Amino acid sequence: MLLKYLTGKNEDIPAGSSAIFFGFSSIFWFVVGTGLGSFNAAKLAFPDFVTGTELFAFGHMRQVHVLAVIVGWISMAFAMTMMYMTPALGNTKLWSEKLGLWTGMMWNIGLSTALLSLWIGITSGREYSDFAWPLDLVILLGVITPLCVNVIMTIAHRRTQGIYITNWFFGSCTFMVGIVLLVGNSPEYFHLTGLSEAYLTWWNAHNLLGLWITPVAAAIAYYTIPKLTGNPLYSHRIGHMHFWSIIVFYSTPASHHIMSSPIPEWLKSFASVEGVLILIPAVAFVANILLTMKGKWTLFVENIETKFSMTGVLLAIPLNMQGGFQQTRSINWYIHGTGWIVAHAHLALLGMSTFLEIAAVYFGLQQMLKRKVYSLALANIHYWFVLIGFCIYWISMTIAGLIQGAGKIYEVPYIDVVIAEHPYMIARWVGGTMVFTGNLVWLFNMWMTARAGTVLPEGRYAHELAYER
Amino acid sequence: MGWKMDNPLYSLSDEQEQQDILKKWGEERMGGLIHPGNNRLPFPLTFLIALIILTAFLITMPIWGQRPTAELYKVHVELMNTPEVERLATPEEKMKYLDAEAMKRSASHPDSRNKGQLERHPIYWDDLLNLAPQIIELQKQTKYPLDNFTVVGDKIVLANFEGNIRPDGVRERLQPWWDKGFTIDVFYVGYYCLWMVIMIKRLPHFSKKPQVPAY
Repeated sequence: MLLKYLTGKNEDIPAGSSAIFFGFSSIFWFVVGTGLGSFNAAKLAFPDFVTGTELFAFGHMRQVHVLAVIVGWISMAFAMTMMYMTPALGNTKLWSEKLGLWTGMMWNIGLSTALLSLWIGITSGREYSDFAWPLDLVILLGVITPLCVNVIMTIAHRRTQGIYITNWFFGSCTFMVGIVLLVGNSPEYFHLTGLSEAYLTWWNAHNLLGLWITPVAAAIAYYTIPKLTGNPLYSHRIGHMHFWSIIVFYSTPASHHIMSSPIPEWLKSFASVEGVLILIPAVAFVANILLTMKGKWTLFVENIETKFSMTGVLLAIPLNMQGGFQQTRSINWYIHGTGWIVAHAHLALLGMSTFLEIAAVYFGLQQMLKRKVYSLALANIHYWFVLIGFCIYWISMTIAGLIQGAGKIYEVPYIDVVIAEHPYMIARWVGGTMVFTGNLVWLFNMWMTARAGTVLPEGRYAHELAYER
Repeated sequence: MGWKMDNPLYSLSDEQEQQDILKKWGEERMGGLIHPGNNRLPFPLTFLIALIILTAFLITMPIWGQRPTAELYKVHVELMNTPEVERLATPEEKMKYLDAEAMKRSASHPDSRNKGQLERHPIYWDDLLNLAPQIIELQKQTKYPLDNFTVVGDKIVLANFEGNIRPDGVRERLQPWWDKGFTIDVFYVGYYCLWMVIMIKRLPHFSKKPQVPAY
């Protein structure tokens, strides 16, 4: 059927096809990504686990996990939400379902090739932009550009006069991430080395978070929470504050990732202040969503999509409190290069962002398939496995990071630090494996939803029918 | 796009513009159910944002999180070969003595940060053996004082700060209170606040709510 749509006319493709394609692809990559994460964590917890094969060495596997999760799960879930939220908010159809399906196809092929190349050791060696430069170009031109065109053209062809906040973010972020990838990968295109390479590597990594992952995840909540609660978004003006502070403050502090490097100190001072000011969009976003929930907090317990969404929103609080302050000179000297940072990165990607995306994928797939989720019990098991697994991971790695920080400052012999943090490495593996298990349950549940979920009556939303089953 | 400047803290849009926006918000059914609300920024949120801006500058002030300077270990180097230190048997005992002496002298040092810096950047006997020749070498030159040099791992390098220009035309390698980074930040935050005030005040006054039709 996919082949038929890919070669057929745009008008003949049912609305929502590309959202469904992206939705299932994202869940698949989430299972792959967290499975790899669990495998890698096992290697840290049990050093004798799978040794002797270069391909399965931690150095080969780590970046495959990271990019499977970022490019596969997170970004494809974003694309999925854009495929159904953008047209819905403009009271129109997606500009081109066919382009959406081709983008999804290119994405899966490109990502599989890129991850395979990483696995066998073809890498730029630059964190978060590890792919070799031809693959960077494929991602930019074959994936991000068509996605951007589809989103912006859908907004341009909307049948509303205004543009809702979610679409501000979708339109601008798909454009900005293209610029980030183009500029951020320039050390590979122009063979830049030394400080220029270091700075641009972290400019790329920082802005992937700041101008793609965090704002798009927040944009999703601006759609899902009013939709699920039936409340209007609390304040349009706080939305303005959130949007513009992301543009102004989140795009600038890249050098706070390399506070120990010999870049000019004034640049570090500038970035450090801007880094704390990232709390402004965070506070605006969280406040706006929490106030939108007014009178509907029972949904936090009763409704699975709200449960996931609000957990993501609440996790944005510790995420930004950590992020805002850990980059200052006074804290960075202690936690830089330790497991604390690993914990923080997982709080951003597996905590705040993932929970918001899971909610949107649940919501979107049910609407696009016009079927109610196959099993609410399995959905709840998924929620608790991911939440508990994440918390175990986050807390254990944070503690391990503090131990490493102390070891670093007080020059404790490295092997003593390794021994001290071993229990936390086991906890990390347990937590990560719980997340992976939860995702297997999710994949099964959504597969069964497509095959045997209760059909939604015309014009009804899945969450409205929570007690009809 | 009617502008009105007579009462800028109320709204920068004229009455017609405000009504048009409210009508649009009330009538447009984006995605079926979604409407933007027109509530004001709650006072605690405004307070929090002001607090964040203040904190951002205070917590990144030059008094915090500095790398150790070569000046910090001057006393250690001065005393490490004295008979008092040589009499001590173990490197731990030697460092304990040297740290205590350095702390004692730092109490009378005009820069009150030194005591805290010494606590935050402890070194061991092996480190000192490595750093001492470099510090002795630096003491022979007169262009920069020792506190213009930072200790980075096992090396001592000229700091990357761009400070005040001395009468002899040399730029100090100390972080000045007017650090260029902070100065840019002040303008950046200023422009952001100005832009936000204009953006927000162009919206209808928060006392006016969009009329949402019943579904």
